Amino acid sequence: MLARYGITVVVLFIAIGASRASAQIQTYTPPEATAEGTDWTERIVEILPPGVESRAEARSRIAAYTPNPLAYPVPRTSWDGKPDFSGVYWPDATITSPPVPLESLYRLETRDYREAGGGAAGLIDWRGIDTPLFHCWPRSPVEGSMSGTVQLVSAPGYLLMLNEGANNFRIIPIVDENESQPSTSHKPSFQGSSVGHWEGDTLVVEVTNFNGKPWLGPARPPDQLPQTSSDALRIVERWSRPDAQIIEYSVVVEDPKMITARWTGPVERRGIVPYDTVQESLCFPDPELGTRHREFAEAEADKRGESDEAAIEAGSQGVIQ
Amino acid sequence: MSARAMTVIVGAVVIGAAVLVGLRVAVDEKSAIDSNSTRTDSVAMRTQWGEANLAGVWRAEPLGASVGRDTFDLTTLEGLYTPETRVRMTELSAEDDPTMRCAPPAFPRAAMLGHPIQIIQSPGFAFVFTEAYPVFRTIPTTGRPHTAAEYLYPTYMGDSTARWEGDTLVVDVTAFNGEGWLASAQDRPTNTSTGVWLSSDAMHVVERWRRIDADTLEYQARVEDPAMLTLPWETPTVTFERQSGDRIEEVMCRPEDGPATYLARIG
Repeated sequence: MLARYGITVVVLFIAIGASRASAQIQTYTPPEATAEGTDWTERIVEILPPGVESRAEARSRIAAYTPNPLAYPVPRTSWDGKPDFSGVYWPDATITSPPVPLESLYRLETRDYREAGGGAAGLIDWRGIDTPLFHCWPRSPVEGSMSGTVQLVSAPGYLLMLNEGANNFRIIPIVDENESQPSTSHKPSFQGSSVGHWEGDTLVVEVTNFNGKPWLGPARPPDQLPQTSSDALRIVERWSRPDAQIIEYSVVVEDPKMITARWTGPVERRGIVPYDTVQESLCFPDPELGTRHREFAEAEADKRGESDEAAIEAGSQGVIQ
Repeated sequence: MSARAMTVIVGAVVIGAAVLVGLRVAVDEKSAIDSNSTRTDSVAMRTQWGEANLAGVWRAEPLGASVGRDTFDLTTLEGLYTPETRVRMTELSAEDDPTMRCAPPAFPRAAMLGHPIQIIQSPGFAFVFTEAYPVFRTIPTTGRPHTAAEYLYPTYMGDSTARWEGDTLVVDVTAFNGEGWLASAQDRPTNTSTGVWLSSDAMHVVERWRRIDADTLEYQARVEDPAMLTLPWETPTVTFERQSGDRIEEVMCRPEDGPATYLARIG
């Protein structure tokens, strides 16, 4: 239970960030469809005015949104004509839940390994209030390592992911499909090595070469152990832009050392917001995080007049389960 | 928000403030689609939209200073500090270098560390990534103004905007948070060096990035800091060589590594 206080802290900060940006955003007005041939950037309007609606409301609306590529044509790059993902997106909304919970696939014999904290054994006191985020790890690779607010950039030969709120980025090389090989030239890492190729208008990214430390999902003491991964983790991501207003993202996860079968994750969607950059936002690890995080979460909950349960519930929103 | 809460924010997970407001950059008229357009284009001297192409993974030799050997003209920089700043610097030590707390070194310091950097360009932007710390710089290349003051948030890497002077990208950087050091503690060009290299939030950096041939990128910066330096400091030109590979390594500054490990890595 307490582990989720930490997530509350993170979610709060992201919410603070979003509200600061809200000052000059107008209430959402549906745009008029414009004539073919005009600049697509002029047709991008915010469907997500941060601060005007809550994160939960924004999620609901994004999840219910019906893509309209006629009104909001998919932007395309000038160099290869493929969908241009460039934009700042917030928040993440689940539009299709996983067919089965990831937890149901964990091998029984991994129990001790998970109990000890997986590839970072002993580092994270997950039965207390500690989480990987407090150690400045990127978010779960199941979430594409994306933070709450993320900027994507399409560039020749690359997709860039720039995170606000978790000081990390991903550089995803895009190659021709017949050249697509898992990268082996890098050191194993938290975010793995990515290589993407196009299948029609979908960017398919294979991510391997993980360092065995990331958690795929949170611990929920006392019942759910950390959803640890191994160096055999392989994730296939599918990125698409159904129209100019949203991106969609889904994953298939393999980790034969941890789970008994390939796991299909949720289909997630994010809405574009009317900015073209994200702010520098750094994570400073602090060895004395634990106590202070709990005190902060409790103080914030008290201020809002919420029960501990409400704070925990709010804090759990940012994590795919 | 209480002071206590602020402490937690600063000391713990510092999540950034607002996304910046800015003009959307219109994609210019569509150019002809090049069937050979993949990363081989990063070696081309020009992007498909006609700018000088700075993209690539680059690395320069480590630069720095010890007595009798100064490869980054830090002797000059040291001489430019005001007397008041010098006094402050004698009261600090290597442990006060913010990189000891996992704060990223800003440019030009980041250019002298000898670690790879990666530049990727998209229409209207250049992005600079460093392997010394997981932080990115977003550099608008259209000559647009700096981020509006009401949204400006002082940062370690500063707020960048750039314009092209011919094929040289001239980047104007302001809004530093005044925490960063201009060089490292082991840089001691003279017998009286403190190894402390303060900067202030008045710092203003003008960088010049220029690709001189297929595999060479030049960097030079002018550092003004009227609160601490009596005159602007011009860095020597740093020569970056192209590296193989399509991206830099992931680097994390993690508490389990300890500051000593981190310092060793960037030293």
